Amino acid sequence: MKPLSGIRIADFTVHNAGPFCTNLLSQLGAEVMKIESAMRPDAFRKPHPVYGRMGPATFDQVSSTKLSVRVNLKKPEGIALAKRIVGISDVAAESFRPGVIGRLGLGYEALRAVKADIIMLSVSSCGQEGPDSHFAGYAPLFGAWGGLSDLTGYPDGPPVEMRHVMDHTVGMNAAVAVMAALMQRCATGKGAHVDVAAREVASSLAGEALLLAAAGGVPRRMGNAQEGRVPHGVYPAAGEDRWIAIAARSDAERATLARVIGGELSDAAIADWTRTRDANAAAAALQAAGIAAHASWTTPEIAADPHLRERHAIVIVQEPDGKAREAVGVPMRLSKGPEIGIHCGTPKLGEHEDYIYGELLGMNAAERRALEEAEVIY
Amino acid sequence: MQPMSETILPLNGLKIVAHVSGVGAAYAARMLSTLGASCILLEGPEGSPLRGEPPFLPGGKISALFAYLAAGMRSQIIDLSDNDGRAALGALLSTSDIFIDDTPVVDRAALGLDDAAIAARHPALVHVSVLPFGAVGPKADWKAEDIQVQHASGEGYLLPNGLSVEMFPDRPPVKIHGHFGAMQGGIAAALGALSALWARPECGGQYVDISCQDAMLSVGAFAIQRLGDGSVEHRVERSFRYGGVIPCADGYVELLTLEQRQWDGLVKLLGEPDWAVDPALADALERSRRGPMINQHIRAWAAIRKVEDIVREGQKLSVPLAKYYTPTEVVNDPHEKVRGLFQAVAVDGAGVFNVLVSPFHFDDSPLHLRAGPPALGEMSRAEEVA
Repeated sequence: MKPLSGIRIADFTVHNAGPFCTNLLSQLGAEVMKIESAMRPDAFRKPHPVYGRMGPATFDQVSSTKLSVRVNLKKPEGIALAKRIVGISDVAAESFRPGVIGRLGLGYEALRAVKADIIMLSVSSCGQEGPDSHFAGYAPLFGAWGGLSDLTGYPDGPPVEMRHVMDHTVGMNAAVAVMAALMQRCATGKGAHVDVAAREVASSLAGEALLLAAAGGVPRRMGNAQEGRVPHGVYPAAGEDRWIAIAARSDAERATLARVIGGELSDAAIADWTRTRDANAAAAALQAAGIAAHASWTTPEIAADPHLRERHAIVIVQEPDGKAREAVGVPMRLSKGPEIGIHCGTPKLGEHEDYIYGELLGMNAAERRALEEAEVIY
Repeated sequence: MQPMSETILPLNGLKIVAHVSGVGAAYAARMLSTLGASCILLEGPEGSPLRGEPPFLPGGKISALFAYLAAGMRSQIIDLSDNDGRAALGALLSTSDIFIDDTPVVDRAALGLDDAAIAARHPALVHVSVLPFGAVGPKADWKAEDIQVQHASGEGYLLPNGLSVEMFPDRPPVKIHGHFGAMQGGIAAALGALSALWARPECGGQYVDISCQDAMLSVGAFAIQRLGDGSVEHRVERSFRYGGVIPCADGYVELLTLEQRQWDGLVKLLGEPDWAVDPALADALERSRRGPMINQHIRAWAAIRKVEDIVREGQKLSVPLAKYYTPTEVVNDPHEKVRGLFQAVAVDGAGVFNVLVSPFHFDDSPLHLRAGPPALGEMSRAEEVA
């Protein structure tokens, strides 16, 4: 069984972090109703020039396995309609800048008035309260504020900006928090307002360095080095821009590695050994000897990997025109939930209104038509 | 801001047993513990290997990594190599909700830790396995440090980008700090554990198999998405067309304008110079095409200005700008002080320090740590005294 079947989520989230949270929950069985409108369509329905994407995406990972319903939140009737959707939901998720959802009339207290035990998730850059809570931000800014980016990079170079992995780890963290709130509701009958601050997620992923700093230490970026691991690095392999990551953590492993490469154990000697070898073959040989090693994989290598496919970490999905493509599954295997994962691609705008407005809310055709004419369902 | 009452946390009442030696599994236990579950860390007589993992707090003996990961847990010594130890584990699991384990698959049966044996003895238990490549699949027995997890899941190949790859185009890719990949496994494990618990009333306990590689790939999903669009990402081409890491007179800021109003705010921040008010740049697609020229101007402007001034004035105009904080600046950040991100706890043998609690608030309150990291076997000794 899908473990979260029966949970229903009103999804007001935008951009990546919040939508990834609700996407994970949808892959685990929650019924996620993505609320958007033609006036403010999802970012993936539009070009994204800063990233160099000059048109809409044909497949949107974070919208997959969700239902789509149009609600125009610019109109009071749209707010009333959104409340009806929340009224049949367990969770309402949003990721606007703090204060926006409240000004729309959909803040936590307003939603509690509609559904007393609602769990509201708010994902934002800096949290709902605090002197910086009004700051706008995206993934690279979360990493910058949180200290994680300052710790990442070459020792003699600048900090390195975090990319989508930062957004998405915020989303996965938020999914944990939502599940904790659901467990709490199960035990107490009470809902909750869950506030997830993305910059704090970035900090939490460098908690040991922050503790060291709190104790008077000065952690710095170290490139590919890792304290306690020698050697530990990324070495050139045969072919253009091919690399292999190798690490040893004990004298026994170092002795083994020295034996395999047939010489002294220095970064230069390891590179001399790796640069004439295929990265995947060298990694397999080192693993067979008990050494942690892996090729630096390109995306096509990942998409084709039998291990990831067997685990359903890489799955095949079909676009509306029947074209097959790879996507990323939910990162777990459940002994009693083999059916978890992506079950449909990006929904069309408003694709599931017959179900949501018709079946769940019991709205008749005339009522829906009137709301469409008034550009409330828009 | 006051932390949540010590008696009320979302997962109060849940019992976790953690038999962990790696960061991923330990982080799962830490997350669930901080959310309110009681967590017993099982350690062999010699202590968890994590106690010997760098970085070390000043003084050189106490692991900051262990202190962070184990804060709030209890410690019980159990030697699973003998029958008494395995019986003690069985007794613990019989009263627990979640068991988190990262023993290599090949070693599990001898220790009584294989999933079939545990399911047979403890049918209501949620058994969570966390390994670098998972417990199933051709690479289940492969070893990995975090650098392998990051490179096996794609993000390793794709970093750095922006300014760093501009400066050092011929260097090897660089990893994200610390244990980012393993921690993604830990977060996925916490999510899997709670999802399985949610379903337990209907289907009983179950086995949750987490791979840090899968989890790291999951958070890097857009590379696979772009592959399906016909685009193979590379760290050079993946750089933002403009913005990104901007060197200033006294540090770095991050700048990213995705929306038109944010670009308009940036033009105002820059003082509306002639190049920026060029009507052609009103079009987002044209800005993308002229990205290098735009960045050249932004960098020249920022190079003679201070970080704090740029961020303060930029955020007033709703331009997404952030200072690159050092760890010390994060720990002392007024925003985080107000939000209660850190809590002073005792770290035996080192002192009392601020430890990061959690990025979650519930009902306007931060969570709290029950305590610092446990002394080895403190729970066993407490029971002996009792």
